[in-house]
Amino acid sequence: MSEVAIVGVGCVGFQPILPELSYKELMYEAAVKAYDDAGVDPRKDIDVFVTCAEDYLEGFSIFDEFVPDQLGAVLRHLFTVSGDGLLGLANAYMLIKTGHFDTVVLEAHSKASDLLTLMDVIAFALDPVLNRPLGGHPYYVAGMEMNRYLHDTCTTVEQCAQVVVKNKKNACGNPYAAYGANITLDQVLCSDMCFYPLKKLEISTPADGCVVMVLASEKVAEKLTDKPVWVKGVGWCTETPNLETRDWSKAVDTRLAAEMAYKTAKIHNPRKEIDLAEVNDLFAYKELQHMEALKLCAYGEAGKLTEEGVTARNGELPVNPSGGLLGMGYGLEASGTEKLLEVVLQLRGEAGRRQVSNVEVGLAHAWRGIPTTTGIAAVLSNVK
Amino acid sequence: MSLDKITNPMHVRHWLGDMEADYIYTLGVAGERFFKEIKENGKIMGAKCPRCNIIYVPPRMYCEKCFAKLEGWVDVGTRGVVHTFTVAKIDVDGKKLQKPEIYALIKFEGACGGLIHKIGETTPEKVKIGMKVDAVFKPSFERKASINDIKHFKPAE
Repeated sequence: MSEVAIVGVGCVGFQPILPELSYKELMYEAAVKAYDDAGVDPRKDIDVFVTCAEDYLEGFSIFDEFVPDQLGAVLRHLFTVSGDGLLGLANAYMLIKTGHFDTVVLEAHSKASDLLTLMDVIAFALDPVLNRPLGGHPYYVAGMEMNRYLHDTCTTVEQCAQVVVKNKKNACGNPYAAYGANITLDQVLCSDMCFYPLKKLEISTPADGCVVMVLASEKVAEKLTDKPVWVKGVGWCTETPNLETRDWSKAVDTRLAAEMAYKTAKIHNPRKEIDLAEVNDLFAYKELQHMEALKLCAYGEAGKLTEEGVTARNGELPVNPSGGLLGMGYGLEASGTEKLLEVVLQLRGEAGRRQVSNVEVGLAHAWRGIPTTTGIAAVLSNVK
Repeated sequence: MSLDKITNPMHVRHWLGDMEADYIYTLGVAGERFFKEIKENGKIMGAKCPRCNIIYVPPRMYCEKCFAKLEGWVDVGTRGVVHTFTVAKIDVDGKKLQKPEIYALIKFEGACGGLIHKIGETTPEKVKIGMKVDAVFKPSFERKASINDIKHFKPAE
């Protein structure tokens, strides 16, 4: 079976809003960059196009019908995954693994600024009979989860706040980041309490942007580029959707997604074998909870490691050197591709002043946000 | 290059659109019984898996662990324990709430799951994980077979 490589990347954004571009132009510009990077012509060189979008976030019924033209995919072979961009990566990877396709394009975007009532759409994802009639801002679910996670692990609010300080600082060195800032622990701790114990600065802010990538089979990849980034394994998993019966302390879906990806990638000791991790940090505590689920440390240990600087960009295990979603912005279904983009750039040695030294294996992780329990993980390497 | 950047999307030339989408959500067999018991008898019911011996609250038709069809209804009482909670200070539009709202997952003894609901008749500082709470039902003539037939949960005496 052929190995699978990422051979081209293109990104526009991320910015708090990209007012000058329509969603189609946004996708077009990212696609042009990715095709240029890969050295391909989408009208003849691409076998399949995979896009990732969710109708309610786009404001369209059957949004997948609206995507071919801006990607150069009219009258070509295309489908849309209703999920995070990393799930699109899993599909692209599998297509090439079948041996029937050599080149696949992956696209995910966020035009969050077009959506005037994002929180109403998220609230609409709650159970209509059991939960929705209670009303309220849907992020109360995150407040409840953080509270139980802190209770069970003895993680402190300071340790959660440290995630924000680290990620926003990392984002200062990332031209694709919308919300880089040099802030103090006190600023985070003193920011408005929104959903006790979750504070305002611990919540990622939506951003506009688009990521397009070109994937290729081994034989095509080696012709196209001398810097392929190999997809070594992907995994995904969904826990029960019921708020009432789910685990409120551990991200068990992410745990199983990671185990699936590690098995394919032959990762036996993630902490030692993974050189950098891009982990979902939609809320600061989620970075810690996800690190534990991804087996980068023991349950309840992530807060301490963060406090000690282990997860800093120049630490022993850099986590979210891109700035994460707290620093780059919450790109809705493109969130996973924000992570993927950083891992690719780092493994190519093209991450500029946030480059982590001596990196060979990177981990990209996504979670589909409130109120979901879907986790996706991908292991990548610059060594075949 | 202009120094004046557009920061409000409403200031860009645009077309304003909205989605009209109304639904009814069928309660189903398990939901029908669950809400009927709440409305008519002020009882919170669970459904039991004959294979796993798990009692699910809220009840459903099938077991999410072994996929068996659930059989048998169990009254789990109206006193539960706060598994976790939060105090929401803002509403869905991001506006500050005049009175913060306490949301919690309340679990019932011997049952898997529980109910997401609000906690009332107390102040946020007094709510703790592990505290016992009782369901407060609306008067029967006001009940509509809805989760809101339970007004809230209050600290147990």
